[in-house]
Amino acid sequence: MSSLFNDYQPESFFDEVFSQTRKARTHYGAMLDSVGSLTPSEYSARQKAVDAAFLRQGVTFTVYGDDQGTERIFPFDLMPRIIPQREWETVEAGLIQRITALNLFLNDVYHGQKIINDKAVPAELVLSASHYRPEFRGIKVPHGIYIHICGTDLVRDGKGDYYVLEDNGRCPSGASYMLENRNAMKRAFPGLLQSLPVRPVDAYGSMLRETLAHLAPSSVLDPVIVVLTPGIYNSAYFEHCYLAKQMGVPIVEGRDLIIRNDRVFMRTTKGLEQVHVIYRRIDDDFLDPQVFRKDSLLGVPGIINAYRKGNVALANSIGTGVADDKAVYALVPKMIKYYLDQDPILPNVPTHLGVEPKECEYILDNLDKLVVKAVNESGGYGMLMGPHASKKELAEFGERIKKNPRNYIAQPVLQLSRHPVFVDDHFEGRHIDLRPYVLCGDRVRVVPGGLTRVALKKGSLVVNSSQGGGSKDTWVLWDDPLDKPAETSHAA
Amino acid sequence: MLSRVADSIYWMARYVERAENLSRLLLSTQDLLLDAGAEGVDEAQFWQPLLATTGDEEAYFGLHKKIKGKDVTDFLALRADNPNSMLNSIRAARENARTVRDQISDEIWESLNSLRLFVESAEGKAMHRTQSAAFYERVLRGSYEFQGVADSTTPRGEIWYFLRVGTCLERADKVSRLLDTCSGLSLELPPSPKARPLRWAALLRSCSAWHAFQTKCSRQDPAKIIEYLLLDETFPRSIAYCVAEAEVALQALCAGAGIQGMPPLLRHVGRLRADLAYTTVEEVLAFGLHEYIDNLQTRLNQIGEAVFQTFVLHAELAMPAEEPVQEVVISVPGAYHAHVDEDAQIQQQQQQQ
Repeated sequence: MSSLFNDYQPESFFDEVFSQTRKARTHYGAMLDSVGSLTPSEYSARQKAVDAAFLRQGVTFTVYGDDQGTERIFPFDLMPRIIPQREWETVEAGLIQRITALNLFLNDVYHGQKIINDKAVPAELVLSASHYRPEFRGIKVPHGIYIHICGTDLVRDGKGDYYVLEDNGRCPSGASYMLENRNAMKRAFPGLLQSLPVRPVDAYGSMLRETLAHLAPSSVLDPVIVVLTPGIYNSAYFEHCYLAKQMGVPIVEGRDLIIRNDRVFMRTTKGLEQVHVIYRRIDDDFLDPQVFRKDSLLGVPGIINAYRKGNVALANSIGTGVADDKAVYALVPKMIKYYLDQDPILPNVPTHLGVEPKECEYILDNLDKLVVKAVNESGGYGMLMGPHASKKELAEFGERIKKNPRNYIAQPVLQLSRHPVFVDDHFEGRHIDLRPYVLCGDRVRVVPGGLTRVALKKGSLVVNSSQGGGSKDTWVLWDDPLDKPAETSHAA
Repeated sequence: MLSRVADSIYWMARYVERAENLSRLLLSTQDLLLDAGAEGVDEAQFWQPLLATTGDEEAYFGLHKKIKGKDVTDFLALRADNPNSMLNSIRAARENARTVRDQISDEIWESLNSLRLFVESAEGKAMHRTQSAAFYERVLRGSYEFQGVADSTTPRGEIWYFLRVGTCLERADKVSRLLDTCSGLSLELPPSPKARPLRWAALLRSCSAWHAFQTKCSRQDPAKIIEYLLLDETFPRSIAYCVAEAEVALQALCAGAGIQGMPPLLRHVGRLRADLAYTTVEEVLAFGLHEYIDNLQTRLNQIGEAVFQTFVLHAELAMPAEEPVQEVVISVPGAYHAHVDEDAQIQQQQQQQ
């Protein structure tokens, strides 16, 4: 039927829409009917209308590298990724299990360090993590929660099994694009959204606000919450602003805040006003020049003392980076076992640690087959894709690993699942991942779906926005349409 | 409201108004030149006053040796290295809007973002090259759209009053500069150079006042024109009207902030409003138009400075609790202007996960 998909080839990958025999998966049936009824130029016109709207509305991110930083729209592919409810339930349960273990781990690391004393995880590995903040041991944080907002990256392999690729427990970004993508879909395919039981995501703003309000001292009835941004030149400034607006709270920069008697105030036209909860989108290092980087112009001198005294709550807490160190990541299954006495619902990608001499040797011997990552980098930086690297790059990376093995981990190259993406006038398969957003307040909540990121370059496995990635809307369906008869007419 | 937000909203409004005034000035000067006829007219005497009005003569002569129409219009409209160009004013308005877009309506944000996309686009640049009048009209429409959506989507609270203060002070300042360019012209003698009577009409057009003035006064007497633009109580671009509007907004802001008594800010603006209400144009001319405007501009600047002192810096003085102030100011919040701190920019580029 659908001319748009006539020449579509899943090839040897796990394709989200079509099986190996080019049959459409059932949960995509209604959408393929709708998209399939369009001609390439009609489809293309809708895509262009959405792009123009994003530009006009300034739904953009900043690309570094030139003088002023160029604002670009985050490339958006109209065809949504669909996850059936049953599949989602497993993912959701896995994410809740994981964040629960991570928060127990952080609370333990910053207090009794039982898990280390019991030798369930190697002490030197945890304590050598560069984002471990020993000066925060013994500091109480509200309700013992360290990570309040987590963006966990999931991928599916060649068989379609889900794996956790990494946990982003510092300042995960992208939630605004998840919300804006849905708005764009409402304009582009109103009928389709109406006819399918797609779970809404627009409660994210109010959920985030509730999560943050939960952190305020119980004596404060109506806590003042703010979003702290590094400023308009930050690549994620649009998101900071967007989330502040969704929550109806002010967005502030470091220079808007001032500390008096270990309490945090913001400068307003009517004088100083006390702030109780800060959703900070500034890294630990820049947060307080009195404690961390002395040259930071973005932070607030004295804010850490206010935090230590419990006069202000920070989300996420200080020092959560120890949990998303890519070497500590390898220990999460052990944490789940240790704290919850459960097996992980969502497995890790098998990970070799540079810090273990034997594994380091293995990494160096197999560099051309592995993905090597620096443990503290994000955004697709500091990464080596072995199979695609030149001899020179391999040799250089090898040297770096030998010099500082603790700083590197390696994983097998996963054949990430693919999804049809509109290219020029037809669809081609591109690799994707999924970043759901997990909120930890009085309970753990996961927004249904999340941000599906797409590696837009043909063959690329890197989905980051800074590296040529784009995104898709992600639809979690209420009902599992498996009960319906299989619609085999959607053969590609 | 955050002090920095107030400052950004004030400057956002000022920059939009600045771009609008510049557009209209360029447009009316071009028209004036067309009316004057090309034969034997010294172009420079038309363009020089524009550079004087915007205070950019020095910057211009840093780039060009002579005054040429095309160079002046490029310099004032699209040069990125002229901080006062229309392009940079629109950019600054939009950057300020960006820092406060959680506070302003989506309509305000989109109108400024669209205007900035237009002036930076290849299409906009080509239009300026080939049909500059259409380009200026597009910028004017962009400003009208901004004013319209601001008027119809902003609650009458702090944001609105800061918008009004910014718009009115900028407008008063620009009209006063325009009047000043005519202060050297004779008011009585039959003008010898061909263009002089036209120049008074162009002044009215630069202020969108031509029609309004015509309906009020039958004759384009220079003294009447000065009186109208300086002292008229009903015309929304006259200086007296702008100052009176600014006073209303500032009174509301001071009351909202719980400021008691008569702060310096309200004294400055109130005294200026009264002066403009009770002064006659004869007195102004006897005093000297240029001298009068010089003094007026000083007083407008004083009001702008007092707005900053009262609402942006005052947080240092007012503590909600009982403790005395101990700390020094570490950094002062403020709006976006053409020059930015590069260190801060670099640090802001820290990675996001």
